This record gives sequence, structure tokens and C-alpha cells, in this order.
Amino acid sequence: MQRRGGVTWRVLGAAVALGALAAVPMHAAGFSIFEQGTKSMGMAGAFTAQADDPSALFYNAGGLAFLDQRDFSVGATYIKGLKADFEGANPFPGEGYRASQKKLSEFPPHLYYVQPINAEWKFGLGIETPFGLTTEWEKPNQFAGRFLSTKAALRAFDVNPTIGYQVTPNFGIGIGAIARISDVELNRNVGVNNPFTNRIVDAGKLKLSGDFNEGYGFNVGILHKVTPSFSWGFSYRSQITVDYDGDARLTQVSTGNAQLDLALASRLPFNTKLPVKTSIDFPDEASLGVAYSFTPNFLVEVDANWTGWSSFKEVQIDFTGGATNSLPDTTLPQGWKDAYNYRLGLRWQANPTSQWRFGYVYDETPQPEVGVSPLLPDADRNGYCIGYGYTGGWKADFALMYLPFKDRSRNQNRPGAEADTFFGTYKTDALLLGVTLTF
Amino acid sequence: MHRVKILASLLALALLTAGAAFGQADFSRYVALGDSLTAGFASGALFRSAQENSYPALLARQFGIANFQQPLVSDPGISATANFGALTLARLVPTPVIAPIPGQGQPLNLTLNRPYDNMGVPGVTVHGLLTATSGGFNNLILRGTGFTQLQQGLSLRPTFVTLWIGNNDALGSATSGTDQLLTPLASFEADYRAIVAAIASTGAKMAIANIPDVTSIPFVTTLTRFIINPQTGQPVLIGGNPVPLIGVNAGDFVLLTATTAEAQGFGIPTALGGNGQPLPDSVVLTAAEAANVRARVNAYNAVISTVANERGAALVNANGVLTQAATTGIHVGGITYSSAFLTGGIFSYDGVHPTPFGYAYIANLFIDAINDKFGTDVEPVNLFPFVFGFSSSAASTAQVVFDDSQAGPPFVLTREAGRNVLLSLGVPKSVVDGTPAPKPRKPGHGRH
Repeated sequence: MQRRGGVTWRVLGAAVALGALAAVPMHAAGFSIFEQGTKSMGMAGAFTAQADDPSALFYNAGGLAFLDQRDFSVGATYIKGLKADFEGANPFPGEGYRASQKKLSEFPPHLYYVQPINAEWKFGLGIETPFGLTTEWEKPNQFAGRFLSTKAALRAFDVNPTIGYQVTPNFGIGIGAIARISDVELNRNVGVNNPFTNRIVDAGKLKLSGDFNEGYGFNVGILHKVTPSFSWGFSYRSQITVDYDGDARLTQVSTGNAQLDLALASRLPFNTKLPVKTSIDFPDEASLGVAYSFTPNFLVEVDANWTGWSSFKEVQIDFTGGATNSLPDTTLPQGWKDAYNYRLGLRWQANPTSQWRFGYVYDETPQPEVGVSPLLPDADRNGYCIGYGYTGGWKADFALMYLPFKDRSRNQNRPGAEADTFFGTYKTDALLLGVTLTF
Repeated sequence: MHRVKILASLLALALLTAGAAFGQADFSRYVALGDSLTAGFASGALFRSAQENSYPALLARQFGIANFQQPLVSDPGISATANFGALTLARLVPTPVIAPIPGQGQPLNLTLNRPYDNMGVPGVTVHGLLTATSGGFNNLILRGTGFTQLQQGLSLRPTFVTLWIGNNDALGSATSGTDQLLTPLASFEADYRAIVAAIASTGAKMAIANIPDVTSIPFVTTLTRFIINPQTGQPVLIGGNPVPLIGVNAGDFVLLTATTAEAQGFGIPTALGGNGQPLPDSVVLTAAEAANVRARVNAYNAVISTVANERGAALVNANGVLTQAATTGIHVGGITYSSAFLTGGIFSYDGVHPTPFGYAYIANLFIDAINDKFGTDVEPVNLFPFVFGFSSSAASTAQVVFDDSQAGPPFVLTREAGRNVLLSLGVPKSVVDGTPAPKPRKPGHGRH
């Protein structure tokens, strides 16, 4: 027991170090990241009915049952933002207004270890980064949406021990436990009306940090190889709630008017630690895939993936301090809907050492128009993928994905008091490069 | 072949008629009728930099009208008192002081050889819009022609009219601490119907706005009924309890004009340095008076809504939005605007009239209501410059001299400032300057 605990903590330590790299934009719609294995990425994630490498731990635990050698696999996806622009619309911030997000360069990693126990039972440990987002605006102190968000970052990684069992030589199941470790950071400026000019001026910067906290869940999978050329798979990962403890800090910024600065300093809790609690409900997701080999060297897979984003109703921020170190509680309404994405993958074995892969994914946004904001502007997107795998004494996989987002416009408000006008169109493009090495 | 052609022309005709039936409103000649809110009055005065962003001026810009004429007055503007212009915030801490800028602006557009497109006259009631030809701001805007606001506006043969009138039928009462200056409902309705019927008879399309709850404006809601220590800005406590001003009960509103009386010791017990006498009745709106004012405003609004429906006018719910501002606030780009005095960003220094942002927001209310009603596609006003400022704006540098020695309750509206505001709302001079005598019961008719 003692020893296993020790190992767990060492793995966890490594995971934390890896997780520190993993602040990324959302690269499946919403803020999930479906790129957790480069072989799969080459086929746009249409992999549930194959799941024939260590990334089965993420894509379909049922595939683990068929892995018959000890493997260690490590990789990362380099995500490069090509464009993340905003064009305003009336009434606010108005036609002709332009802003840009910082172009992201991030490396969400993945790491898998697979150890067959015997012909039927297999053990695997995965460390994945299935959720994350960074939305950071250029020139944050001029950005017209700075009172909504200047930078939002969410990081999450899963420690995912899994058991696979071959029920029959062509029917495998798997079940795993998930410990999700996540932190979150929200930044915005605080604006007040300058009573001398009746214009809005910056009075402070609010930074809210939810420290690393964890939540628990599970995953299950089935892989059924019906015939040598036809298989289907199903995978499910549960909803996980992470409750964050953290603190916020409101740093005073001079409004340019000494009297106003003085008046504000006596009313706002500047430059002190404001204890805060928040919570995020990460969605569950399910994938169903079928794969068919037209020839031994040419396989096609089609997947449908459902993500239960309706869990993401709101982000409630509770300030738990007393009279002198607290701010009013806030709710950031989200009101997302469950969403589907559809994946098509092709795989062509050119020769015993080389495999080419192609893929397309249509990913539908879970975010309603009224929820689109500088905090997290999401959109429908198309992903076009190409991948290459080398198999020798070890394996190397490479994949490239071009991910243009559909233009996303917000021109209406949520009904009621929560409505917060920030209208315009978000234009986003990204390129992803995946590399995974398996030993 | 022939039949196809006929079918095609029929289809084209159908499309054309559909087009005509859609987006039905002609904005080529637009006239605004109303009171101070229509004139672009702010901070107790009529002055150019506010008038240029009056909601009618903003609407005209969005309608694509190039030559929209207003009775512009140079800064610091014309107020209801001679030799004083707009109010300004002279000081914020330790106690905010609001005082009028000395001097007076000059009319810039007196020689226009036709009526103004913005006919809004500060201080007029429903009855005044229909009948008045002179007096107060009528002299500046109607220019002694002998024609009423309504007559002059309609003589421009407008294709589109906005009407926002009736505010002064209730405002003067609320800001004078009484329910006795309210226009009786029957005469309000008769006059209102007469105005709208006259507009409708020209064939012009209309957008008409209802009346805000005048008891939710900062002039009424800002001051607490408790005695405030001017050094700390906190209520004075005796035995752990705040001490109410003399003559003020729970639910009563202490009007912004009370600060002058409080500074003189009224409302404050002698033990706390006051003169032990109650606040004058004219600076306290009692709970009962406020309820009566509110009920009357609701009754006016029922009339307005009925008339709007009957005439196919777009109805602008100004009341709803002002209520939102007074309760949850209005959120724009993460900024919360509210009805809070000075800090809220919606009300100017008189505590009654909007800031430029407030007027722009109201212009968008009109646009939303017009687009909804007539299926038009008028672009909303870009609020960015109203939120963050016009890059080229020359800030007013006018300085105000005020007596710094007196510590008073928070928000000191100087005596001149208070008088100014009341007069501009059409409150009779006898009420503004009169000694607090028992108020005469008015026989049921309008004041003009």
C-alpha cells in the first residue's frame, strides 16, 4: 500500500509538471481537447472502433483489452493560433471596433503506459489533458471588453488508471478511474463612472485564481471486432465537477483623478486577499464508432461524439471573505447545450513501416449566441487532418490539423437582467501539430 | 412561354408589394416632440454639447438625415435662472458639491427660417405641448410665433414623429415633495389623445415613449433619511441606532434639495448641532405622496400604451428601462450603469436628466421599438464614444466657486443648483421660492 501510494504521488508530481504546460485554447468545440493521441488525430479522432494503440486509454478503454505488449507512449499537440480576431458591432463596442487575442502557442501533453497482466487482463495508466482554454486579449488595458475579461485560463489534466478485459478474443471491455486536477484563472479590469466626466475609467484589475483542486469520475469502453474487417466501439467518460478554492486580488489603478481615486479607495477592498470559491462542471462525453477495412491496408472509420455540455450552466463565483475582504458574488451565465461532432477517418498502410491517415471532423459549438463573450468565444468548426505513422522497433506518429472556425457573431442579449451587451464577430483559425512516440 | 412570363411578372409584383409591406416607415422628414428629455437638456441646462447628443439628434443621424435642426445654445447653456449655466461637479471628496457654472450661453440657431426639427421644450407638460405658445423655454424654441409646439412640429409635414411627453405632469410634483402638482388623469388623457390624434391625422408614423417612475430618479432616491456625519459619510449612531432627520419617517424620500436646508440645521436635533426644526415639506416626499405619484404615473402610462396601440405607434418602454437602471442596473461590456447619483453614469448632475450615455441608450430604445414595430432595420447608435469618451472632446474647464468652509451632508446641491432644477421642470416659481405654506388643493385641471 505504502509503495503504491508513493508511486501515485510521483506520477502525480510528473502530471502536475506536464499540466503546467497545458493552458490551451479549446480545440474541440467548447473547451474540450480531443487531441490526446497523434495516431487518432491524423484521422480527426475517428478512433473509437480502432483504439489499437496506448491512446485507447482516452479514446476507448475497450481497446486496452487487445493491447498485448508493454508500451510507453508520450506525446504532445502543438497548438498554434493563426488568427483570433474580433470585429465589433453596434451598439457596443460598435461598428469599426477591432481587437485581437494573443496568438496561442501551447503544448497540451499526453502520456500512456500499458502493461498486459495476462492474455485477458491488461492494465494502463494515462495522463491526459482533455480540457483547457486560454483566451487572452492583446493590449488588455485598451481592449473594449476588458471589464468582461482580459485573460481566462483553465487547465485540467486527468490521471486515468484503467483495466481492460478480453471477454472473448474479439470482444473487449475496459473501465477506468479518473482523477481530474484543474486550476482556473480569470482576469478583468474594473470600470467605474468618473463623475467629473461621466466617462468610464479603469479603477482596478481583478485577478481571480482557483488553485489546483481535483474531482473524480470514471470511464468505460467497449470494442467489438465483429469480423476481421468490421468493428465497432463505444466509449463514455463521466461528468466531473471540480470545486476550486482560491483567492482574488483587486489592484487599484489610478483613474487619473485624485479625488475619485480617494473615494474609490475608501469603498473597494483594494490590494488585499479576497478568498473565493468557484466550481466548474466538466461535461460527460460518449463516442460511438464503426470501422470497416475495404482491404487489409485500407480502413475507414466514422464516429459520432456527444458531449453533455448542458452541464455548463454557469460559473458561480462566491467571495467568502468578511466585510473588509470581499466583493459581491457574481454569476457568469453560460447556458450551454449538449453538442455533437462527427468524425471521418481513413487509414492507408502504404508498406509495413508506413501508415498514412486522413480525417475530417465537423464540430458543433455548444455555446448559444447569447453566451458568446470575450471570456470564451466559441464557434462551430471544421477540422482537416493528415497524419503519418512509422512503425519499426519503436513507433512515431505525426499529424497536422487545420482548424478554421466558422465566424461567430453575437448580436443579441440573453433576456433579463443578466444581459451584458458586447456585440460583434469572432474570427478564429488554428493549426495543430501532434507528435507521439511509443516505445 | 407566355404563361411563364405572366407568372414571372406576377411574382415580381408580389415581391414588390411584399417589399413595400415590409420595413414600413419613412424617416425622410423626422420631427421630435416633447419636453426637456427630448430637447437634450442635462445638468439643469440646455447647452450645445448635450443637445448635439439628444436622442432626437442621434435618431436623425441613424435615420440618415443630414440637416436636423435644433435650438442650439452655446455652453455653458441656458438654465431656468439668469446668469447661471449647466451644473457641474465642483468637488467629490469629502462631500460632493454640485453648483451651476456662472455665465450664460447664447442661442446659436435663433434665425432658422422654419420650425426646428427637435421641438422639445424643457418644462412643458402634455397640456403645454398642445396649447402653450410662450413662457419659459417656449420663448427660446417657439420664438414668439404664436404657434404651439405641436403646430410648429406638424407644419414641417413630418413622415415620422417621436413623442415623449408627460414627464413634467408628474416630475414637478415628485421633486417638490408633494402629490398636489400632478395633472389630473382626465385632462392628461384628453390632451394626450388630442396630440396623438393631430399627429396621426398627418399620416406620419409614430414612436411614443411612456413616463419613467419619477420616484426612482436620483433626485428623489439619493439621500438617506438618517443624519450623516459629514466627516465620515456614515450615519450618526445613538445607542447603536441611526438618527432619522426630524420630520422624516420610514419610507419617506429626502430630496436632493434638502442638502441646503440640512446645512442650515433643519432636520437635525439641537443636540447634534442642528436647529431642531423639521425639514421643510418641500424637500421631503412622504411615502404616501410617493405612492400617489407612482400610481398616477402608472395611470398615465396605461393611457399612453392604449393610445399607442390604437394608433399603431411604436411604444418605447422608458419606464421599464429606468426601473431596470434603478434595480439591477444596465450592463454594457461588463460595466454596470445604474441610477446611482454621480457614480451610476446614467443621470447628469441635476439628478433628473440623463448623461450623454443615458440619452444614447434611450435613442437605442427608440430604435429597437421602431424596428420591432415597423420591421425597419435602423442601425443602433454606437455607444463606444458615450462609454469611453469622444477622442476629440474638449472637456469643460469652467470653474465654480463655492463655499468650502461648510461641512454638509453628502451631495450638496447648492441653493442655486436646486432652484434651477425645479424651475426647469416647470415647477411654478411660487412653489419653488414660496414659504412652505399649506398647499392649495387644485381643482381638477392642468397648470397651463
